[in-house]
Amino acid sequence: MSEALLEVVKLNKAFGRVVAARDLNLVLQPGVLTSLIGPNGAGKSTLINLLTGFLTPDSGSILFQGRDITHLPIYRRVRQGLCRSFQVANIFPNLTVLQNVTIPALAARRRGHCLFGRVERETAHSHDAKQMLERIGLGSAAHSPACALSHGDQRLLEVGIAMAARPQLLFLDEPTAGMNPVERTKILGNIRQLAEDGAITFVIVEHDMDVVFSLSDRVVALNHGEIIGDGTPDEIQSNPKVREVYLGE
Amino acid sequence: MLQSIVHVCLAGLSTGMFIWLVASGLTLIFGVLGVLNFAHGSFYMLGAYFCYTALHFQGNNFWLGLIFGPLAVCVIGFVVERFFLRYVYHLALPYQLLLTFAFVLIFDNLVNIIWGAGSIGSPSVPGLSGSVLILGRGFPIYNLFIIAMGPLVALGLWAFLEKTWWGRIIRAAASDREMAAAIGIKVPLLYTVVFIFGAWLAAVGGALAVPYVGLLTSGMGQAIIIEAFVVAVIGGLGSLKGAFLGALVIGLLSSFGTRYIPTFDMFLTFILMAVVLLWRPQGFFGEGEQ
Amino acid sequence: MNRHSTTIATAILLCVLIAVGLFAGRFIIYLAMRVMILCIFALGYNILLGRTGLLSFGHAAFYACGAYGLALTSIHITPNPMLGIPAGVLLAAVMSLIIGFFCVRHTEIYFAMLTLAFGMMIYSLIWNLRSITGGDDGLYGIMRTSFSLGIVNIPIMKESQYYFMVLFFFMGTLVSIHHIHRSPFGLVLSGIRENHVRTEFAGLPVKRYRLAAFIISGFYAGLAGTLSTLLESGITPQAAHWSHSAEPVLVSLIGGMQTFTGPVAGSVVYIVLREIIERFTQNWMLWFGVILLVIIMGFRGGIVGSTAQLFKERRALEPSRRVSHE
Repeated sequence: MSEALLEVVKLNKAFGRVVAARDLNLVLQPGVLTSLIGPNGAGKSTLINLLTGFLTPDSGSILFQGRDITHLPIYRRVRQGLCRSFQVANIFPNLTVLQNVTIPALAARRRGHCLFGRVERETAHSHDAKQMLERIGLGSAAHSPACALSHGDQRLLEVGIAMAARPQLLFLDEPTAGMNPVERTKILGNIRQLAEDGAITFVIVEHDMDVVFSLSDRVVALNHGEIIGDGTPDEIQSNPKVREVYLGE
Repeated sequence: MLQSIVHVCLAGLSTGMFIWLVASGLTLIFGVLGVLNFAHGSFYMLGAYFCYTALHFQGNNFWLGLIFGPLAVCVIGFVVERFFLRYVYHLALPYQLLLTFAFVLIFDNLVNIIWGAGSIGSPSVPGLSGSVLILGRGFPIYNLFIIAMGPLVALGLWAFLEKTWWGRIIRAAASDREMAAAIGIKVPLLYTVVFIFGAWLAAVGGALAVPYVGLLTSGMGQAIIIEAFVVAVIGGLGSLKGAFLGALVIGLLSSFGTRYIPTFDMFLTFILMAVVLLWRPQGFFGEGEQ
Repeated sequence: MNRHSTTIATAILLCVLIAVGLFAGRFIIYLAMRVMILCIFALGYNILLGRTGLLSFGHAAFYACGAYGLALTSIHITPNPMLGIPAGVLLAAVMSLIIGFFCVRHTEIYFAMLTLAFGMMIYSLIWNLRSITGGDDGLYGIMRTSFSLGIVNIPIMKESQYYFMVLFFFMGTLVSIHHIHRSPFGLVLSGIRENHVRTEFAGLPVKRYRLAAFIISGFYAGLAGTLSTLLESGITPQAAHWSHSAEPVLVSLIGGMQTFTGPVAGSVVYIVLREIIERFTQNWMLWFGVILLVIIMGFRGGIVGSTAQLFKERRALEPSRRVSHE
C-alpha cells in the first residue's frame, strides 16, 4: 500500500486572462522520480509556486501526506517535508557556503530560535550541514562567501540548500540549467543516489530531454495549464499530443 | 452647527491640498525610481523659503515667488539626484533611504543657518486676500484658491500621464525599467527628470503655503513628510489616485480633530493608518509588495 | 576573532572602563556614561538593522517608553531603580511587540514608513498627555536613590557611583548581544537579511523572526532610555522624536553596520564629535548629515569595516612586497 505523497485536486489559477492552471489533477507517489516537462509558459513554475505556497490557488485543494495544505504558509509546508529549489540560484550571497546550508539544517532540526549557544558548535545541525556540503562536493569551499562561487557551484549550492531542509518531496526547478557537463554529472548522480536511497521523492522541471529520459520513472507533460501527457518516459515519447506540442510534429 | 462643520471641512480640504502636492511628488518618485524620498518634506520647506525670499527681493510679488521659488528647488533636486542618488540605486534599500535622510538633516539645518532658526512671518497675496462669507462666517479667499488648485494639479497630472508621450514613457519606465531601457528610453535621464518634477510639485506646495500658514519654520518639512507618509500608506504607495484621496481624508480628519478633539488630532490620523493597515495592508489602491 | 582573543579584549575593556570610573574627572565620567548608554541603544538596534536588514525610524519611541516608564514609576510608586528599570524596559518591550506586529508584516520601504509613523504617534501621545507626561516640559527631578541587594546597600547618588551601574548594564549588553550574534538565531537573522524568500523556503517563519529582532532591539532601546533618565534626572518628549531615532542609525553606520563592535566605535566617535561640534554651532546635526552622506557614498563599511578591509588588503600585498625585495 502506498499512500499518495501529494494529491492535487482541481487546481485553478489564472492571472487575468492567462490561465496558468486549469482544473489540474495530479497524484504523486513516494519514491517515483517524476519529470515535469512542457514548453515555456506551460505553467510548470506556476504549479511549483502553487504547490509550495508561493502562490495561492483560485480554487482547488492540495493534500500532502493526506493533510490539506492548500492554505498553509510556505514555511509550514517546508516543515512538513515539501521543499523546492529555484531556477535562478537563490542563495545567501554574503554568507559562507557552510552558513548557507546551516540555515535550512537549523530549520529542519527546529533549532532556529536558539538565542544562545554558538552556531558552529558540534551539534546535530552543524553535522547535517557539513555532511550536505560533502555530499554535493562543496566541502572544500565551506568557508568561502557564497557569492565567490562559480555559477555552476552556486547552482549546486542552491540544490544543497533545498536538500538540507530534509524534505520528503523536493521540487527541483531546472537544476542543471547553466551547468557544465562535470557539474551536471555530479548533481544528477546526487539526485539518482538520493532517489535510490528512498529518502527524497524528486519532481524535476527540465528542458533537457536526455536528463528527463535517463533519470525519470515518470513524466508529466503540461501545456497551457493542463496536463497533456502522463506516463513512463517511453509512453510520453510516443504520445502524439506531446509530440505535437513539444517537438512540433 | 452646520456652519462649523462646513468651515471645518473647507479648512480640512485646504490642508489636504498641501499634503496632496507633497504626496503626489513622493508617489511619482517612488513609482518611477522606486525610491522613498525622505527629503521630500525638505523640498516643500525649501520651496516655501525660496518663494519667501524671492518675494522679498521682488517687491512682494507673490506670483514671481511662486515661479522662482520652486525653480530654485528644481536645481537642488537635480544636484541631489544626479550627483548622489544616482550612485546608490544599486545598493540595498536602507542606504537609499539613509541618503535621502542625510539630505533632510542637511537641508533642515541649512535653512536654520541661512534664514535663522526662528519663524518668518509671511505676507498676504494681493488679489486673493480677504474672505468671503460662507454660511455666515468668513472664509479666506486664498484658501478657496488652494482648494481649487489641488484638483487642478491632480487633473493636470492625470492628463499628462495618460495623454502625452512623455507621460506614457514615464508610466512605461515605472512598470518595467529594464524593458524601458531595452526599447531605447534613456532611463537615467528619465529618472533625473522625474525626480526634479516631483521636487517641483512639493516646492509648489511649499510656495503656495507661504501666505497660508502665516509663518515659516524649519520644522515644516518634517511635519508634512510624516503626513505624506501616512497618506501614502493609506492610499497605497505608488498610486496617485490613492495619494489624492488619502490627502483629502487626512486633511479632513486632521481638521476635525483639531476642532473637536484638540488633544489627539494627530493621533486620530495614526489610528486611521493602523486600521487601514490591519484591514488592507497595501492601502486602498496599492498593488501590494513584492 | 577567536574565542580567546575575544575574552581577552573584553577583559581589557572592562579594566579600562573600571579605571576610568575610579580615576577620571567628572566630565569624562559623564561622557563615558553617555557613550555606554548610546552603545546599549545602538547595539540592540543593530540587531535589527545590520543583522536583519530592517531600517526602523521609530526606535526612539521605545527609548522614550523606557525613559518615561522609569520616570513615572519613580514619581508615582517608588524611586527604587530595581522597580523603575524593569518597569521601563517592560513598557518598551510591550510597545515594540504591539508596533512590531503591525510593521514586520511589511518589508523595507513600507516598514521604514510605518516605524516612522508609529514612532511619531508615540511622540505626539507623549506631547499631548500633559497631565501624565508633563507634555513639552517633560518630567524632571528623577532621583537616583540607593537601593539594596540583599544585605548590601548600593548608592548611586553621585555620578561616579552611578557610573558603575551603567557599566554593569553595558557589559551585560555587550555579552548578551555578542551571544545573540553567534547563536543560531543570529544566523537566521542574517539569512533573512540576505534573502528572506529563501529563508522562508528553508522552513523558517520569517515574520516571527523579524518580530523577535524588533522586540529585542526595542528592549535594549528601553534599557538605554531608563539609564539615560537616571543619568539626566529627567526626560523630555524630544527623546521620542524621529530625529532621535536617527542616532543609532548614524552610530551603526559610522562604526560599521555589519560588525559587532561597529556600534561601539561609532558611539564613541559620535559623542566625542558631537561635543566638539556643539561648541561651535547649534546646528551640529548638519555636520552629521554630511558625515552620513560621505559614508553612504564611499565608506559603507564604517570605521570598523573599513579598517578590517584595509588589513585584508595589506595582508594580500605583503607577499608580493617580499618578492620585490629579492
